[in-house]
Amino acid sequence: MTMSDWSKVTRPIPVPNEWTKPFWEAAKQGVLALQHCQSCGHFQHPPYATCVNCMSIDLTFEPVQGKGTIYSYSIMYHAGDQRFAAAIPYASIIVELDEAKGALLAGNLLDAPSTEAKVGRRVEVVFQKLNDDITLPQFRLAQEEA
Amino acid sequence: MWENRCQVAVSGVGFSTITRSAEVPLAAHALQAVKAAVDDSGLDMADIDGLATYAELPASGHAIVDGISIVSVNCMMAMLKLPNLSWHVQVETVNIGGAVQQAVNALLAGVCTYAVVWRGMHNPRGTYQNLPGTYAQGAAQFTAPYGFGGPGQGMAVAYTRYLERHHQPREKMATLAVTQRQYANKNSHAYFYKTPLTREDYLNSRMVAYPFCLYDCDIPVQGAVAIVLTTAERARHLKPRPAYIAGYGQRLAFEVAGRIGSLSNYMEGGSSSSRLTWERSGFTPKDVDVAQIYDGFSASVLYGLESYGFCQEGEALDFIQDGRIELEGELPLNTFGGSLSTGRIHGLWHIIEGALQASGRAGERQVKDVQVSFVGASAPIVQGTTFIFVKEPY
Repeated sequence: MTMSDWSKVTRPIPVPNEWTKPFWEAAKQGVLALQHCQSCGHFQHPPYATCVNCMSIDLTFEPVQGKGTIYSYSIMYHAGDQRFAAAIPYASIIVELDEAKGALLAGNLLDAPSTEAKVGRRVEVVFQKLNDDITLPQFRLAQEEA
Repeated sequence: MWENRCQVAVSGVGFSTITRSAEVPLAAHALQAVKAAVDDSGLDMADIDGLATYAELPASGHAIVDGISIVSVNCMMAMLKLPNLSWHVQVETVNIGGAVQQAVNALLAGVCTYAVVWRGMHNPRGTYQNLPGTYAQGAAQFTAPYGFGGPGQGMAVAYTRYLERHHQPREKMATLAVTQRQYANKNSHAYFYKTPLTREDYLNSRMVAYPFCLYDCDIPVQGAVAIVLTTAERARHLKPRPAYIAGYGQRLAFEVAGRIGSLSNYMEGGSSSSRLTWERSGFTPKDVDVAQIYDGFSASVLYGLESYGFCQEGEALDFIQDGRIELEGELPLNTFGGSLSTGRIHGLWHIIEGALQASGRAGERQVKDVQVSFVGASAPIVQGTTFIFVKEPY
């Protein structure tokens, strides 16, 4: 199984808003930062107006290590969007971070064939620059395992 | 129990021609379905004084043009010019089941006497689900850059989680797809009426978004279906035998937009909605003679069976085996063919079949001696609307 060729893929570019700006500012610096509730300690993602655990509005973005496990995945075979056609079949994964249970991050499994995507596999964050403003957090198999 | 149980009934039902793509504007399909439902009731159009729909086009990235890609209440009003129109609503949540429930409430409140509910579904040209254009706004900023498009891939990651968590092979789903197709082969309105489907077809079909193959996805079509609802008293004087509404429930599944893959939700959405329906009607899953459960993607049926209480969590893929969901089985399921085989018309067709089974009007697909007919009209992982129809008021 060959690896997905992402070099020819043009990804939609995220547009930060009031809730999500600190996430993208951190990512640009190569840091994964998630919304952390100062009241109950719950980490959450995607960002939201309130803590979904305790309803507090005292939320601060804080850096996390970016190591975790594949919570789930799908392998895309259908070129619904032609911009992604060159990468098919590709693995879109959902990652649960060690430090932030309940925060689920979407990503692609980079530098590995899509067949390597398995629930429970260890992964770590890497950063993929899209343009001068936006850097995308992505995931690869954890190096400790490789 | 609900004091209003069996006070409102489904009377007539109607179908448009179901085509793969748009040959005529969607408004024409909706009008055809509404006229057929009114005719089926034996009413004149001028008798209709209530209108309700859920108009959303679930395909993303396409133009919304009223009459072509959606059929709003306003569009229907302009076509019908009802002289006695006294109530109308267009709901924004819980899909078409919400519109039916609003119509039930309006009839109970006495603000209309004969309400029509329709669902029109457009199949746009080109790719059904498009990723956003150059930029991904809102919740999509965390999903679209990774190639997560419409609901399909979000449903697919949830299904992977389900299969892995419960140690189930996806191949077991072949039974659902094949059984539903056999039912559709007895339903002349279904898109796949004349097309058989074998277990081998399912197992050999192309993968779309693993673990979903082609036959795990309902086929996008152009068409509409409609029903007439009225009070039980009035329904008894109309042509068809009424299907009495014994109870209903609704619940959006709580999840922050953009958080996908989690299964935490479907038990919450489905069980909350169905609990209200069981409590209001006084029935339990064991009392149900036939069930229709929303199947936009095949996995939704599993979430429905488990969250509504027909089987335990993680057991649904085993529950559907061994003939249990066939016509003579313990729980005949999606007896009209389901969206997988009739085409993507959302949950109103499930509601129609639930009503036809309760009133003994399902023809070749009729389950014997139906008293209690259950419907889960939308995907519990997103939203739950549930209904119970009965043959006799109690």
